[in-house]
Amino acid sequence: MGKYVIKRIIGIIPLLVVVSFIVFLFIHLIPGDPARLIAGKEATVKEIQAIRHELHLDEPIFQQYLIYMDGLLHGDFGESIKSHIPVMHLIGERMLPSIELSLLSMGWALVFGILIGVLSAVFKNRWPDYGGMVTAVSGISLPNFWLGLVMIQLFSVQLGWLPTGGADSWKGYIMPSIALGAGIMAMIARFTRSSLVQTLKEDFIRTGRSRGLSSMTIVFGHALKSSLIPVVTVAGLQFGFLLGGSVVVETVFSFPGMGRLLIDSIQLRDYPVVQAELLLFSFEFILVNLVVDLLYGFLNPKISYET
Amino acid sequence: MTMNYKKITWLCLIVAMIMAMTACAKGPSDSESASSAKNDKDITIAVNQNFTTLDPQNVSDTLSISATHAMYEGLVGFDKNMTIKPVLATDYKVSKDGLVYTFNLRKNVKFHDGATFDANAVKANFDRIQGSKGSLTASHYLKNLKDIKVIDDNTVQFTLTKPFSAMLNKFAMIPMISPKAIKKYGKNIGLHPVGTGPFEFVKWNQGESLILKKNPDYWDSNYPKVNKVTFKSVPENGSRVAMLKTGEADFVYPLPEQNVKSLKSSSDISIDQTESTIVRYVSINTNKKPFNNKKVRLAMNYALNKDTYIKVVKNGFGSKLDSTMSPKTQFYSKQGVYEYNLDKAKKLMKEAGYPNGFSAEIWGDTASDTMKGMQFVQQQLAKIGIKLKVKAMEQGTLSNEIYSPKTPDQAKVQLWYVSWSPSSGDADGATRSLFSSESFPPNGANTAYYKNNEVDSLIKKANKSTDPDEQAKIYKQIQKDIYSDAPWIFLGVDTILSGHRNNLKGVYVLPDGSINIKNAQLK
Amino acid sequence: MAEIVTKTDYMPKSRGKLRSFCAAFIHKKTAVASFFFFCLLIILALIGPSIVPYNPQTPDYNHVLQGPSWLHLAGTDEYGRDVFSRLIVGTRLSLGVGISSVLLGAVAGTILGLISGYFGKWVDKTIMRICDVFFAFPDILLAIGIIAILGPGLQNVVIAVAIFNIPSFARVVRGKTLEVKEMLFIEATRSIGATKSRIIFKHVFPETFSTIIVYLTMNLGTAILAAASLSFLGLGASPSSSDWGAMLSMSRDYMGTAFHLVFFPGLIIFLTVLSLNIMGDGLRDVLDPKSKD
Repeated sequence: MGKYVIKRIIGIIPLLVVVSFIVFLFIHLIPGDPARLIAGKEATVKEIQAIRHELHLDEPIFQQYLIYMDGLLHGDFGESIKSHIPVMHLIGERMLPSIELSLLSMGWALVFGILIGVLSAVFKNRWPDYGGMVTAVSGISLPNFWLGLVMIQLFSVQLGWLPTGGADSWKGYIMPSIALGAGIMAMIARFTRSSLVQTLKEDFIRTGRSRGLSSMTIVFGHALKSSLIPVVTVAGLQFGFLLGGSVVVETVFSFPGMGRLLIDSIQLRDYPVVQAELLLFSFEFILVNLVVDLLYGFLNPKISYET
Repeated sequence: MTMNYKKITWLCLIVAMIMAMTACAKGPSDSESASSAKNDKDITIAVNQNFTTLDPQNVSDTLSISATHAMYEGLVGFDKNMTIKPVLATDYKVSKDGLVYTFNLRKNVKFHDGATFDANAVKANFDRIQGSKGSLTASHYLKNLKDIKVIDDNTVQFTLTKPFSAMLNKFAMIPMISPKAIKKYGKNIGLHPVGTGPFEFVKWNQGESLILKKNPDYWDSNYPKVNKVTFKSVPENGSRVAMLKTGEADFVYPLPEQNVKSLKSSSDISIDQTESTIVRYVSINTNKKPFNNKKVRLAMNYALNKDTYIKVVKNGFGSKLDSTMSPKTQFYSKQGVYEYNLDKAKKLMKEAGYPNGFSAEIWGDTASDTMKGMQFVQQQLAKIGIKLKVKAMEQGTLSNEIYSPKTPDQAKVQLWYVSWSPSSGDADGATRSLFSSESFPPNGANTAYYKNNEVDSLIKKANKSTDPDEQAKIYKQIQKDIYSDAPWIFLGVDTILSGHRNNLKGVYVLPDGSINIKNAQLK
Repeated sequence: MAEIVTKTDYMPKSRGKLRSFCAAFIHKKTAVASFFFFCLLIILALIGPSIVPYNPQTPDYNHVLQGPSWLHLAGTDEYGRDVFSRLIVGTRLSLGVGISSVLLGAVAGTILGLISGYFGKWVDKTIMRICDVFFAFPDILLAIGIIAILGPGLQNVVIAVAIFNIPSFARVVRGKTLEVKEMLFIEATRSIGATKSRIIFKHVFPETFSTIIVYLTMNLGTAILAAASLSFLGLGASPSSSDWGAMLSMSRDYMGTAFHLVFFPGLIIFLTVLSLNIMGDGLRDVLDPKSKD
């Protein structure tokens, strides 16, 4: 097992190099000139050329990639083209709020998602099932920016209970985490339900029942655990997305997360910031996938890691 | 069996509650103290964007300028009406030939880090800008600067390579950084602002807030009158208005026009209006068919109902653009508006040979007010048969489309819905980049590809002149010439709207859209 | 407790399939209701423009931002256009964008999934790794990139959303292919000497079809939401079109002053996506009960 983990972690490195190259190429292919966007509207060609030269933008793209990778290998992610602030500093400030928000969104989505899923499966084709599933499906059917705007109007403006945005206090996390978590909760609920319904039909459950075990023991003691595998997959995948920040929800709630940094940097074609953020996302994503794989083993000891 | 299901239900509920509680407890409770009740002398200002940098010599957006102007000051500055007044200089002299500027500096001024403000400090700042080889925004302002001389501790002298009438406006855009801090922080000065201004830097949470505190040793002991100022970036219009209503913010800018009505009824909130230097127009590529025909351009101007434009797009706030610049810009001269006249427009189209109109594209960025304006232009021009396709492009792409063509013939832009505000309120900034034939993209923003030899030579003449009266006369002629050639669809001048809680006084927005907080005061 | 075990997956593959499908689907009451709602939308999309009470593009500057009334069922917008008419006309655009992008994504994803699953080994590994990279790439960046390169406009929104869909279809179809590949009759066909492409498209593909249909329905909802989000960020449909997402995003500044402008487009998007999801759930229960997605 330990060997397996080490092997996987080492395997990440070449993947990241490939990703870094793709990201670099992709960003530089998008039309737009950072020098022009930074220099402002009154700048002349000469001034823009000077900036391009300073940023090495006038060199061949492969050369630029090597310069970038050279910095990266020395632990230098470069500095923002726009503000000259080191990229690590920019990202560092945004990362914590983003992680906190992701954890919170994921937390409540898991709790309520599994809960609704279990209820729906146990009461299959009865009113708790219908109620639960319609609630869950509503969660993925709402445009989340719409949900966010309506919540602000209701809870902040009309009732005055919650702040309209920001990350100053824990209260500021409530509405964004609901807007973000609603869709994930819905997915988890559906996966839990369908998976549990299947499991409850399996032989070992029926055997358990015939031995006179109570429903509660069956659902929580046996069935749920083995039904969680697909749930873990989907939760892991979604968590990976969450960490990348949500541009839309962060905009609505003026939340200082990674998503807004990304979109601001893309608009200014601030290459170093965009590159570093995308590399970080990929890294997080790969890491989350690894954790998910390990959780599989915990939930289903039959899976082995001899790869 | 039924009993068991009930039990399961209960168990689920309890588990859920416990988990939800732990999840909340694990949440960011440590930052709770930050939101504790606001102090009496603290104010919060909500704005629509993020600060990009706090390096005062490298800012280009008005919002970051607002923040740096609270912490930094220049030799001269702008007052509420954008006229120049001395700040860190006590007075200044300009030589007859317009080449030599001499400033007497204010004494007993200290930077926030204790460094003394004197002639050497000024020189250190200008050396930094000129040494940046163009990578600092402020270096654009110093294109004509030959050298700077320290005469004595409190006198500096600048010599220009050629006369430049708007030079004082440019000096106002160059704030002074502590020379000690320049050495200490180098490129990172944007993260550690140290100036002479009424407020000192406390903390900048990127993308969220900027916190400033009172400078107790400010040279003018009457200021500042509040202890702490927090700027918050709130991009969503609705959220910003909500903050003003809930009292989370004491001042919001910009205030969306459509919300004015709903806020007027509130007794805690006041709305301020300032006429801006921001002009809104559609630039017409005069190098392209059919727009090279002046009659077509005039027809477009007559076909557009400016009153309705202001009513519908600007929700009633704003005024008609009756020149190439705003009344708040230096040397403005009023021209006759192309008043809405559909018959005349149709007649002109017929004379131009397009009785049934034509198809074209209108470009703009993805801001919601731009998209609204473009749609309006589309609706209005449809009445004279011009079928417009609205193309909203993301900023970077748009800039690339506009500025990448090397020659006028390569340009694809036809109509561009855009706004312009001269960065230092001067007539040159409102004219040369937009109408001089030297400023065709990629060299400038003359996206109308407007070329008029008389205007070209008048612009040069105005720059050389040192006599304000003569300059006023020249700019009057320039505005007249351009307005009658109609290289734009002239739309309107923005009215700046800001809202504040009634207990706050003294915070205002300048015509160029920057916020001044020096006089902030709480009742 | 009586157990009814439905073994749909062992059902005889014959003409009775459709009938038994209908018989099973009819019991899913919410799904049937959603199906009818969706049919209604399709009808609106087809005949909408000819039945609307007002021209959706004609402004009336004297009656802007009016609330719902008998004259204007859903009120008027910032140019005085009838919101109700715009919503009906917008059905064609919004559904069109959703359907065409999902279909495009499904076709590309299915082909990749079939190839990946059938050939296995390095082909499989390569395709799946590429899908991983696409998964890890934030959607929004991809969208900005695609739209920046191709230029704004609805057809490019379709392409952007289609590309989001490719990896997920590829994964699902690959999984199903792996399952089907090992089934006996495929082995049998192979031994007869049929070509690979024949095996893939004539024999494997039909087996994955039910999974694809279920996935298609569900992703359609997501695609409509994605297109709306793009519009919200100003990257979607032309602001002057009556696309639902564009309407919603243009109206968000009126949240506090003209709530109907935000409410109705939001509601119609919600109902549409909800009905698609419920329908998808119902289809899955009937067609593909083993599937976990």
